[in-house]
Amino acid sequence: MRDAVPIEFPAGYDGSVLLEQLARVLDPELDESILDLGFVRSLRLRFGQAEVALRLPTSWCAVNFAYLMAEDVRRALLSVEGIDRVTVRLGDHCAAAEIEAAVNDGRSFADAFPAEGARSLAALRLTFLRKGFLSRQERLLRDLRDAGCTPTWICALRLGEVSVQDDAIAIRQPGCAPVAGGSAAILQRYLERRVELALDCSPEAPLIIDLEGAPFSADRLQAHYEAVRTVRVALEANGSFCQALLSVQRLDAAGPSGHAK
Amino acid sequence: MYNHDGHDIFVVDGHMHFWDANPENWKNKYGESWIKCFHAFHSGLSPAEEVWPFNKFCRYGEEVLVNDLFRTGYVDMAILNSTYLYEFYKNGFNSHVQNNVIKAKHPDRFILCGSFDPRDEEAGVEAFRRMVAEYPIQGLKLYTAEWRNGSRGWRLNDPWAYKYLTLAQDKNWASRTSTCTRGPPSTR
Repeated sequence: MRDAVPIEFPAGYDGSVLLEQLARVLDPELDESILDLGFVRSLRLRFGQAEVALRLPTSWCAVNFAYLMAEDVRRALLSVEGIDRVTVRLGDHCAAAEIEAAVNDGRSFADAFPAEGARSLAALRLTFLRKGFLSRQERLLRDLRDAGCTPTWICALRLGEVSVQDDAIAIRQPGCAPVAGGSAAILQRYLERRVELALDCSPEAPLIIDLEGAPFSADRLQAHYEAVRTVRVALEANGSFCQALLSVQRLDAAGPSGHAK
Repeated sequence: MYNHDGHDIFVVDGHMHFWDANPENWKNKYGESWIKCFHAFHSGLSPAEEVWPFNKFCRYGEEVLVNDLFRTGYVDMAILNSTYLYEFYKNGFNSHVQNNVIKAKHPDRFILCGSFDPRDEEAGVEAFRRMVAEYPIQGLKLYTAEWRNGSRGWRLNDPWAYKYLTLAQDKNWASRTSTCTRGPPSTR
């Protein structure tokens, strides 16, 4: 998907940092990069000014989510050295004009949409970071279980005992041979979110913790696993709606010949 | 009636609509993008052989609807909702007045739902009473995302929503068939 984005950089400009930053912007609900999701329609940089055109799955995507992504794009690109102005475009989104005017001016959502209530976007962002944490943890738990780890073992694991070896998770405990425990990418996504939420990431910290940083006992783990499973399934269900809309949009973009009959 | 293993099953379609989103009825770009968004959902979520072309999807009229539900379909009764959207469609997306034309022809097939909008405040109370008195309303569809005069919707905890619900409760049917949808179609 990234390769398909039309990019216009000044001659000789190394845009890798910029793309890296852009790739860090997530659709909060899908918990995936907007770049990988195909939401970035084009990217242009001229004289220190970046212009990013977004295309969301429909023009009726919720205003607060659209705002949040647009704002995140602006913040992400402003953090790149040499970029001093960012303009985000939202195409035919139903509130494109208001969102663009406010985001590009650095104004807050509450300021731009007072009728939407005083609920700040920061709270929404945090809610989805936390849901994403649980969803990522569920995938890790599933991987560990599939690799044969018992609840007691999982609960006893410390961060310092897990590492990445090639594409797999390697579990090393004193006096035991290393064990392969699942996908490295799943572990990395879980650890990244742990950092973002400022949860304890020291080597002694338990691998599996709740949102307050507390570890689980083996008999509490099953109930927790079932609870996070519902979070993951709910996110995936909403995600599949968005994916369905995106697939139609891609067909439309491909022209009438590509359209479903 | 639908028959399964020798048992008759009475089927109620719990949520359905007549609608007119033909281009002639679009009031602005929102009328267009709103129905396109729904068509995208329909296209993305339906098996390929069931997908309707956009022009067919734009209007779900009486003839097709009655045929789909009761003749070729196995529905016995349907709850017919009203979603007005006058800011997007010249004659509305549908209204209880339009829906009642269909209901009047098939009175035993439909449960007709009206609506209220707390943003009408006191001024809407009389209209609400009239709607209930003059039409065979048996329930409400509450569409909180309806745009009006610069507002992008309302919340159920609006004190005026409470007032209208109290009025509805007096009619003794609201709790049976009220439905509340959050759309537009975004799942968020």
